[in-house]
This record gives sequence, C-alpha cells and structure tokens, in this order.
Amino acid sequence: MGERISDSIELMVIYTKLKKEECPLISFSPTEDESAFVDVAQGFAKDVIRPMARDCENNRAVDAEIIAKAEEIGVASLEFPEHWDGLELPLISQAQMFQALSYGDLAVVQGLPGAGDAASIIRLDPESPVFDAYKKAGQRGVWPNVAFIDAFNKEEPWAEEMQINKNGNGYTLNGVSHPVRLGAEAEYVAVAAVDTDDEPVVLWLQNPPGGERWSVKAGDYRLGLLSAGLAKLQFDDAGIQADEVLAQGDEARELITQGQTRIRVLQAAKAVGLMEAALEYATEYTAERKAFGKVIAQFQGVSFKIAKMAIETRIVNHLVWDAATKVDAGKKDAVEASLRALYRAHRSSLFVTDAAVQMLGGHGFVDEFPVEKWARDAQAQAGLYGRGHDLITRRGERIVNEATGAKRGVLQ
Amino acid sequence: MISFELSQQQKQIQQMTHWFAKNEIRPIAMEADRLERVPDDWLDKVNKMGVHLNTSSFGGGGGKNKSSKKKESKEKEGNRMGVLATEEMAWGCPAVALSLPGAGLGGPPVQSSGTPEQKERFLSIFTKDEPRWGAYALTEPEAGSDASGVRTSAEKVDGGYVLNGQKIFITNGGRASWVVVFATVDPSLGRAGQRAFVVEKGTPGFSCSRLAHKMGLRANETAELLLEDCFIPYENLLGGEELYEQNSNSTSPSGFQVAMKTFDSTRPIVAAMAVGIARAAYEYTVDIVQKEYPKQGRYFSLAAQTLAEAEQDIDAARLLTWEAAWKADVGKENAKEAAMCKAYAGQMAHDVTVKCLELLGPVGLDGHIVEKLFRDVKVFDIFEGTNEVQHLVTARRQYQPYGIRV
Repeated sequence: MGERISDSIELMVIYTKLKKEECPLISFSPTEDESAFVDVAQGFAKDVIRPMARDCENNRAVDAEIIAKAEEIGVASLEFPEHWDGLELPLISQAQMFQALSYGDLAVVQGLPGAGDAASIIRLDPESPVFDAYKKAGQRGVWPNVAFIDAFNKEEPWAEEMQINKNGNGYTLNGVSHPVRLGAEAEYVAVAAVDTDDEPVVLWLQNPPGGERWSVKAGDYRLGLLSAGLAKLQFDDAGIQADEVLAQGDEARELITQGQTRIRVLQAAKAVGLMEAALEYATEYTAERKAFGKVIAQFQGVSFKIAKMAIETRIVNHLVWDAATKVDAGKKDAVEASLRALYRAHRSSLFVTDAAVQMLGGHGFVDEFPVEKWARDAQAQAGLYGRGHDLITRRGERIVNEATGAKRGVLQ
Repeated sequence: MISFELSQQQKQIQQMTHWFAKNEIRPIAMEADRLERVPDDWLDKVNKMGVHLNTSSFGGGGGKNKSSKKKESKEKEGNRMGVLATEEMAWGCPAVALSLPGAGLGGPPVQSSGTPEQKERFLSIFTKDEPRWGAYALTEPEAGSDASGVRTSAEKVDGGYVLNGQKIFITNGGRASWVVVFATVDPSLGRAGQRAFVVEKGTPGFSCSRLAHKMGLRANETAELLLEDCFIPYENLLGGEELYEQNSNSTSPSGFQVAMKTFDSTRPIVAAMAVGIARAAYEYTVDIVQKEYPKQGRYFSLAAQTLAEAEQDIDAARLLTWEAAWKADVGKENAKEAAMCKAYAGQMAHDVTVKCLELLGPVGLDGHIVEKLFRDVKVFDIFEGTNEVQHLVTARRQYQPYGIRV
C-alpha cells in the first residue's frame, strides 16, 4: 500500500491522462486511470484513514500521518489549475476520488487541510491577483487552510449575521459566520455574500501571523464531523481592502453560482463514499451475526433493508456522476443537477447510515463500532451543506417557472 | 469513461421513437383503454410502418447485436438502445406499446437459447405484412414469481413432448403466433426438470381460455392459456435436446436458466417502461401547473417541491436502468442491476403518478391521462417479478461475496 502511494510519478501520469478522454456514449465505466487512482485511494481509506478515524475524532483533528499521505497523493490540489501546480482534474474524476477517500471516513476527509471548499472558487478565477499570497504560500508544498463562508442566500437567517458594508473601494465586515469546516485553523477566509446594498460580492482575506482580522468563536460541537475543524468566525469592523475583493456584482453572482455548483457535487460525492462504507459494514455484519439459530441476513426484514440501502447508494452515486459530467461539459442544467445530487445525497445518506445503526442493533449505538459515528457525520454533513427541502424547492421553482424546465434534458 | 451523453445513433433512436409515441400512440391511448383493445387497423398501419416491439432486435437477448457483425470493434449498444426506445414508447402509452406487433418478451429466450434453425423459423415471421406477435408464458395460478414452481407437465413421447397445464397473465397470449412455454418433465426435480418450448398457435389442445379484465393496461391483451394433451415436436424444444443433456449434470439447469436469463434482459426494459410512464405523468402535470397554478404562495411551493422530487426520482430510475442495460451490452453480469432498476423504477413510477394525481386534485379524475397512467403503472411493480422478488434478488447478490444465501 505505502509503496503504491509513494509512487507519485505513476500518479502524475494518471492525473495527466485523466483530463483528456472523450466518448459520447452511455457508460458507467471509469477510465483505467480513474480506476487505478480509486484503487490507491481505497487502500489508503481502508488501511490508514478508517483505523485512525476514532482517534482523529477524539483529538478533534486529523492525524499528521494521514495528512502526510493525503499530500503525497495530491488530494489538496485536485481542483487547482495546472499553473498553480494543481492537478486541474475534471469533476467526474474528483468525485470518484473523494468517494473512495470518504469510504474511509467522511469527517477525516472534511478535515484534510488546504483550500477546502474555496478550492472551487480558486479554480474558477485562478488569475486573480487576490490569490497571490495564497499561491505563494502553497509553493512551500503545503496549502494553508481556507474557511469558506457562504452567506450568499439572504433568506438564510445566518446570512443576516454577516454585515458587509461598502467602504470606499473596500468593505467593512461585521458579524459572526455560521459554523464552517476548516474554520478553527484557517489562515485565509473566502466570503461569498451580498453586501448591504444588495450587491453580490466575493472577498478573500488573509490573517497574517498574530493578526486579528477575525476571531474563532469557541463552540460546542458534538454531533459529527468533529475532526473537520468546525468553527464560527467573528468579524469586528474588519476592514477589507480593494485588493481583497475577488468579484462584485454580476461577476460575483456568476462566480458564486458556479462555485456552489462544484462544491455541491464534491460534497455529494463524499456522501456516496460514506454510504458505501455503511452499506458494506452492515452487509458484512448481518452476514455473520446469528440470532434465532441463523445469520440475521436470512431474515427478510434485514435483507430487504440491505437491498434498499444498496439501491439508494447506487442512485446517489449515479446522480453525482450525472451532475459531475454535466458540470464538466458546461451544460445549462448543471446547477439543477448539482442541487438534486446534493439533496438526494443528504436524504439517502441519512437513511443508509441510520439503517446501518439499526442493522447492528445495540452494537450500532456504541462507539466500539463505526456506524454510530457515520450516522452522526451524515447528519452533520447535511446540516453544513444546505437544507434538503431548500435544495429541492429551488430546483422545483425553476421547473414551475420555466416553460421548458420539465422537458429539458429528457430528449437530448 | 463515465458518460451519460447519448451517441448520435442513440439520439436518433430516442427522437424517432418519441415522435412515433407522440404522433401515433398518444392519440389513440385513451380510446384504446376504454375499448380494452388496440384497433386492428392501427396495428396494420404501424406494422406496415415497420414498428415492432422486439426487445431482442435491439440486442435484448444477451447483448447480441446485428451491427456488431459489420464492425467487430464497435461496442454493442443494443440493450441501451432498447431501454431508450422503450421509455419513449411507454411515454406514449404502455398498454399500446406492449401491444405493438413483434416477438415481445418471447424474443429474448428464442434469441439467447434457440438453435439457429429455431431463430430463423420463429423470428423471421415478424417481417411479414400481417402483424404478428410472440409471447412468453411462465406464470401459472400456483407459480408466478416462484418460477421454479412451474407445474405444467412435459411428458416425453415418441417424436417430442406432450404438454398439459394452465398459464395465466400472458401478454398478447391470445393473438400470439407462438408462445415460449415453460414446463417440467418432473416436478420433483425442481429447476432441473424445466424445459422451454415454443408452442405455436393452432397446435391441437392449445387454446386461449380467457382474457383478463384489469385495473390498468386495459388496451393490452392479457390471456389465460390452456394446454390439453398438446403434442410438441422436438424441433420446438428451445435449444434442442442437446442443450438439456449437456446441462443435466450441471447445478444450473437450462430450462430455468432460459427463464431467468430472460429476466436479466427484460427487467431493464420493464423498468424503462415504468420510467416512461412516470415521465408522461410528470410532464403532463408540469404543463397543467405551469398554466393553471398561482405563481407564488403555498400551492406554488408544494408544486415546486413535489415536481422536483418527481423529476429526480425519474432520473434516478433511468440511470439505474441505463446501468443495467450498459452492463448487458458490455457483457458484464447484470442480474443485480436488473433487479435494482426494476425494483426502484416500478415503485417510483407508482409513487410519481400518485404525487401527480394528488397535485391535480379532483380535476385529475376526469378525462386526464394521469389517472390512466396510475392504473397502468401498478403492474410494473408486479410483473417480471414483484418488487419483493427484486429485493430478494438484490439482497442475494449483495450477500453473495459472504457465501450465504438469503
């Protein structure tokens, strides 16, 4: 396993090939290179991430050994453009990779250092001088943590907590963010929001060593994703200079829309890995556990539930892949595809992880087995990345309002 | 490479069948449901147009594809073509689509297990001027989803077999020129005793005793068939005697295999029909909501959520169906995927039509196609193996790596 990961030359060859293939035919077959990478990631997930996941949770941080191996594989730079020394992979390849990694443990993957969700913002506008310092910092080989605060939807109650006032060519930032991943140790913050003049804006802030541009608010996190560095960030009259403004107005709206779309797909892909883990664990357990003189898999109440878990897992897998390929191809309905992929990922991962707890009975409820953690992680993930009904209603509004909404995509 | 884009040829098939469904099937759908039959002149017309329901002509029978002979290197895509075309046909009307002339579900077993002579003899009739049908008879009053429980007897006699028994729920069974009939030489042998025969219309002792009246799919004929001392020559034993002798020592006996293998290629087709029905109900309801609903408020929000859920469920089922068909095309074992897509699509299509009817409220009861689709769709969660059987198959495959049978 270790040898395969350290063979980074081979991985680079794979990454290069991953960007080039084309084939317009219904196919569920990953490319050979995608499969090769997924093999490596799966081994890493199973042999390294999974066994250390509990410790990471207890320590509220990802173990240094895992971080080192993830860096070796290049996990932090999958989304970055080439001239950032990134791998600039299509979303469909990234989706499979994150899926494979999260099969080890979702909370650990969410806590891997780097640009996190902000990587997608960078991918979309890599030339901006706003990123100069960050890009330079990354050339040391390790990408600093970035917290991404998405307060773009004004209707969300937490968006009101963030006040962004125009101040000359810059802004003044006040308020508290909702809990964000990688917030605890963030050196940079990306903010997608609407200012007090109702204009969309994307900001990029650095906190220099010893700086006080924001403070991390202590929290009481117990539900899940506990190794992901969850934290609220507080801003008190933080001045934002003009050179920290990435985009404004329509440009910002477009950037945020596209960025959110990519983030949704990547997050939904991670949920698939979690579901695969829970499904496999529950299948294996019920195939061995005996009650009333036979393995419990032979009771239909058990085996049918496993079948439903398998079907739901496959469905989310396909919806994520569908959305990823649509984003890669620049399809008009990529946004909708990402909304429903994430919606279904939330809904189904809650079902599958809860069912896994149920399949293990009392053992499912205690921490000697991983399933109770997965159920908590799934719920925390769904809380962090958008309310299910909001996602699906937004898609629905487009269907009802657009005359062609319903038929688009059906007949190609 | 993962891709859900259609090839040029796939797009053409999809557009062509959609055109046909919209312009030829839809206009007669409601009337055919009322009459409980598809008009003969319509069947003559579409037969002359060359439109058939031959799942095997798309390669449904285990990935065989005519075009593959021409270009050996080209990937087979018959199963994918099959599900794409079928979804469109069912969108028009599933009952009418199932009544289209052609080998129907009888095609795959003949295609996959028949001798070259049998294929020629039984499949060539569908190119004639007169519309012709094939059928598939497995279900009996006491044996439906449990296909190994078939009791129709096949007694070996000089020159062939004598069949006795009763078959029910046979799609196009009354009008079929021939029917693939599953029978057993010895019920105590279980699956090993099963044989598949092609029983031709007009065979003495072979008759259609009744046509069923149903909740939905009314325009499509569902027959009860009787076999009374029916002599079937060796030439009509599917695959020939050798096929069964070869397999007599095997643990997977051939007659049963023929029946089960058929399901692996037809379940995705049935799932695709369910997808087509759900889509028809969904699109119809979207049209009404767009025209008649207020543009904001409680009902707007309800409609938006309901329709977005429906759209997602439909696409989820389609992707599962495509996966099963793709696996068959590339020669991968697809029993699990075939069961999964059928299990999900059957249930999903019922749920979607229910949601659509609920949105339409009392209006939906009077003359709207959605109520017909609701009646039609229920059986898609039943035939070709009930939802429960599909879950059983899925679970069995899921537990296979652990060496236990559930």
